[in-house]
Amino acid sequence: MRPFEHSSVSSAAEAVTALSGAKTTAVIAGGAELLSLMKANLAAPTHVIDLKPARDLRGIAFADDGSVRIGALTTLAEIERDGALAERAPILREAVRDAATPQLRNMATVGGNLMQRTRCWYFRGPYTCWQKGGDQCYARGGQNKYHAIFDDSPCVSVHPSDLAPALLALDAAVHIVGPHGERSIALDELLKPPTPERRRETTLAADEVITAVTIPAQGVSGGGAYIKMMDRQAWAYALVSAAAQVTVRDGKVERARVVLGAVSNTPRRLHHVEQALVGQQLTAELVAQAAQQAADGATPLEHNAYKVQMARELTRRAILQAAGVEW
Amino acid sequence: MSNQQQPTSATPAAAERKAIRLTINGEQRAIDVETRSTLLDVLREQLGLTGAKLGCDMGQCGACTVLIDGETMYSCLLLAIEQEGRAITTIEGLGANGELDPIQRAMVEHDALQCGFCTPGQALSIKAMLDRNPHPTDDEIDRALAGNLCRCGAYIKLRAAARSLAGR
Amino acid sequence: MPIRVITTKVEFEGQVYEQRVVMEGDEPAVWGADADLRVVGKSTPRVDGRERVSGAAQYSYDVNLPGMLTAVGLRSPHPHARVVSIDVSRAEATPGVRAILTRFNTEGFKNPNNGMDIFGEEVLFQGQEVAVVLADTRQQALEALPLINVTYEPLPFVVDAEAALKDGAPRVKPGTQDNSVSDEWPQTYTRGDVERGLAEADVVVETTFTTEANLHNSLETHGGAAQWDGHTLTLWSSTQDIYGARKQVAAALNLQQNQVHVIKRYMGGGFGSKLGAHNAGLIAAWAAHRLGRPVKYMLSREEENLAAGYRTPTAQTYKLGAKRDGTLTAIDLKTVGNNGALPGWFPSVAIPAKEMYLCPNVRTVDYAARTNIGSMSAFRAPGVAEGMAGLDVAMDTLARALNMDPLELRRKNNTTRYQIVDKPYATKTLLEAYDRAAERIGWATRDDEARRYPRGRNGSLRRGVGMASQVWGGEGGPPAQAIAKLLPDGSAVIMTGTQDLGTGTRTVLAQIAAEELGLPLTSVRVELGETEFGVFSPPSGGSMTLSSVGPAVRMAAVEARRETLEIISHLTEAPVDALELRDGAVFNRETGKEMGTLGSYLGQLDGHEITARGMRGPNPDDVVVRTFGAQFAEVEVDIGTGQVRVLRIIAAHDCGRIVNPLTYSSQIEGGVIQGLGMAMTEQRFIDERLGVSVNPNLGDYKVPTIRDIPEIELVMFDRANEYANTIGSLGAGEPPIIPTAGAIANAVAHAIGRPVTGIPLTPDRVLGFLSDK
Repeated sequence: MRPFEHSSVSSAAEAVTALSGAKTTAVIAGGAELLSLMKANLAAPTHVIDLKPARDLRGIAFADDGSVRIGALTTLAEIERDGALAERAPILREAVRDAATPQLRNMATVGGNLMQRTRCWYFRGPYTCWQKGGDQCYARGGQNKYHAIFDDSPCVSVHPSDLAPALLALDAAVHIVGPHGERSIALDELLKPPTPERRRETTLAADEVITAVTIPAQGVSGGGAYIKMMDRQAWAYALVSAAAQVTVRDGKVERARVVLGAVSNTPRRLHHVEQALVGQQLTAELVAQAAQQAADGATPLEHNAYKVQMARELTRRAILQAAGVEW
Repeated sequence: MSNQQQPTSATPAAAERKAIRLTINGEQRAIDVETRSTLLDVLREQLGLTGAKLGCDMGQCGACTVLIDGETMYSCLLLAIEQEGRAITTIEGLGANGELDPIQRAMVEHDALQCGFCTPGQALSIKAMLDRNPHPTDDEIDRALAGNLCRCGAYIKLRAAARSLAGR
Repeated sequence: MPIRVITTKVEFEGQVYEQRVVMEGDEPAVWGADADLRVVGKSTPRVDGRERVSGAAQYSYDVNLPGMLTAVGLRSPHPHARVVSIDVSRAEATPGVRAILTRFNTEGFKNPNNGMDIFGEEVLFQGQEVAVVLADTRQQALEALPLINVTYEPLPFVVDAEAALKDGAPRVKPGTQDNSVSDEWPQTYTRGDVERGLAEADVVVETTFTTEANLHNSLETHGGAAQWDGHTLTLWSSTQDIYGARKQVAAALNLQQNQVHVIKRYMGGGFGSKLGAHNAGLIAAWAAHRLGRPVKYMLSREEENLAAGYRTPTAQTYKLGAKRDGTLTAIDLKTVGNNGALPGWFPSVAIPAKEMYLCPNVRTVDYAARTNIGSMSAFRAPGVAEGMAGLDVAMDTLARALNMDPLELRRKNNTTRYQIVDKPYATKTLLEAYDRAAERIGWATRDDEARRYPRGRNGSLRRGVGMASQVWGGEGGPPAQAIAKLLPDGSAVIMTGTQDLGTGTRTVLAQIAAEELGLPLTSVRVELGETEFGVFSPPSGGSMTLSSVGPAVRMAAVEARRETLEIISHLTEAPVDALELRDGAVFNRETGKEMGTLGSYLGQLDGHEITARGMRGPNPDDVVVRTFGAQFAEVEVDIGTGQVRVLRIIAAHDCGRIVNPLTYSSQIEGGVIQGLGMAMTEQRFIDERLGVSVNPNLGDYKVPTIRDIPEIELVMFDRANEYANTIGSLGAGEPPIIPTAGAIANAVAHAIGRPVTGIPLTPDRVLGFLSDK
């Protein structure tokens, strides 16, 4: 790790001011991600700004209109433990309780979790891969068991967050402050497949800071489920995960959000599966048929064809579980 | 939470240093640290507290677990300078007057350790769990200890020790 | 005492060696099965548990000396390359950097084990040493690392074992005829006539089974801290073998062995990979010697996983032939292992095929390839854990082909003789292990509908039960020495030169000494892990520590007791035979009366200490001593996702007398858990295009967490093996890892009704088995 100057800020606005001054400045919150990158020489900021003293960015609030606001500095452990939140959006507790470890959940913040870089072993290793400005994605023709089955960019890495697919299924919005004030975007506007000009999965500008995510009242309607497959029973990133939030009225699917994690550069919302459900009588057959389309368009790589079946099966289970049906 | 820039290859400047006060095991320690120093490095290399172990330096093994305001965290991924004003508990802070803490006693009695390298971290994870939940179920015990790898495989005995502490 | 030099024959993998054993005096009579023991055999918490649980135990990593430099390594990113030039100028200018070692300033610095330069002109694998930075702090050394500019000339490489053995493959070592690890490979073994055996069979099955490279990942990495005081080099080494480390350091630094002092107080795991000082320890010693400052070099986790060894991956192909009634007529095995780049010992994967089951016709061909990927090192039951899994999966395949109960097939082919050199086994309790473990897991109901389909036939869950067998040595042997000292206050010091890797060695040796000296455990202190003050003990490997050092300690304690009683007899005029030591006191055996504490007599001798020596005697050469056992596993497979959960493991191992049931059970559980990692989660991933490992860390190389661990139940034997040694104990380190993977693989095959052709059983692999036509 290279030496750096360190300072603290007590608000997001102060952070933005600090970010606009120096070129290689990083914001630190929980620190697990930033220090991992710095130790691997993947980041070398000359200034590090500690956002933790900005207390108003922390906490979970429920508005009268039924929406939920989660401050960017809220830890995953706080989400896991918040009983009121678990009642409103059980999918969030399901998503975070199998994420990482108790220690990391005590450290990791919502904002930092969304802003994680990929865990692709070529990206994290000493390879100048495409995401790091190189001319090739090493995983594409190499070891790619954990990588994308959908070809959304020259890079086949996947976003590691468990929280993000769940938040996407809840129609979450991300609140951002920058030099030009505040803005709010949908989560799938923050997380986007990388492009040659923007070689990362997040669209946040270098001088912006996330302040909160909010979930609209409609987002938490109905029931939710998050199912994650790992190749060890804890402390592993998802092989595939599925998040579903489903509203059923009078036996018919009224609203559905279905999202897959770890199958593409960013969490993948399955609009066509949702459309196959909405307005239909909820039956096991309907769900099975809809879920069968979960991996349509997938182009698996040498070592990850298993994700196709896993994606379909987890989609089926998550929808049924969200609808309160035992699979 | 902000995009970091790619590293530059400039020769680094002299390391930034700062005088800080840490509260470790109830004691105030005034110390001069580099801004980049992790809490683990400061504990081990500057304060002589070697109970927290360096097993991976990447938050992937759990041997460096300490308590920060009662919550388990990986000290290899915490900057020391950010821990001012927080209560830091290391394994050296368990027990008093030369006596082992009941958690440590249970671990010895149940043989919940082999080589001992992960043991301080395991003890602190058990402590944080019991402080929050004095009567954990088996599933809660396993979840609480899931962030501490034990390569020797003392897991069965760790469960037994934790169960006994949970009054079972 | 007169010295005797006894020549005995020692057999290892069918080869017979002569061994000379120096004995001074006689070993005591064996503790028989009915021996009346008060300390030995009792569950006893570790005597050093307090240190381990309080953070006070000092590991090599924890040694901090004034003025100490910390070393960090720069390693080759290439699988094979010539190191053309190294520019260290920018790195040297980094604050705190004191020296940078490279091949250009370490001439003549070699690893004495293989004679190779530590910093070679050619690097043979990703992760081989290229430079080491020594700085005031670790952080400073790390900062300098990326500033070293190395010019490499990449050379052709090969990382896959089978590819390496093909004609025209790039040579790992130029000038060799092929990439076999040495002239002794491939190793071919034949017994009887395999072709005839196959021809005589009613049923022949062919199976393939692959295992992956497993990384030891001891939580404390390899390395050491070293100090040179102008005459003595002290190395605090994370080693399983302090005397081996001493020998290596002396040779590497051109010192006499009496100038090298190796200390290993506590160590954070070894599992076979730390038999010596290793390059990191040698580098620390070399740098301390040259720079005159203390140096610590502990590998980073990445260095550890690239350069500190691995369990060989294997590709095993079996052809088994049997009569309709299950009688084996032939075992034909071809196996290919991957040695990595550095020459040395390589384990046979074929031992189970040669030894485990009764079969007159056996042929094994064992290939071991040199490749440009890391360097293999021993890992808990090396070769045997892999080979047993392959063999027992093949046996289950045969059972299915015969439509026979797999356990019945094993029973049918049980052998009471060691078939490699035809000799009887001293003891064999395997059939009893089968029976008791089968009863415990409910073998008889393994095919019951309700058990196999816990959510019904339409549900996605399938359960299965499988088993596998185990054979291993573990009888230990000479040389191993010990000294027992009784101090004037009646307390005792037992001096050995062994190592406690976390197995509880210190505790069981204290129990043995306390038993013979009639002392409470608290009055016995066991010294180990220091070459300077100890006496020779063998490396702590091969499950031979207790069975080698234990008898030496016992003999020393018996001798010390004998001397003590003679002295007390002189002091009291009571006949020696009437005296007895018990609970730290002297008793009159006839009257049963206490005559005073031991200290009240020894304190009369003006400081004289009773000092007695013990040594391990030779093994019997008319019988073969082995540990046997079996494990049974129950698993649940989700056929929708391929996820396997291990529900239960029953472990039945006969390791002779159990000195300490508490630490014994920890050993067994630990072995099962490592076997479960091998079966379920652990895999090194190689990018063959680049010739590199892509997961040299604990995030992507997955060792089991507590949540991966099922209930593990032990079937206890605890019977003195009176042939083995004077304490009747065999080693328990390796036996428990041997059958775990096979038992789990067979349970999964039972659950899904499909062949299992490799491990680890991660969901992707299991989905693959399910889709195999």
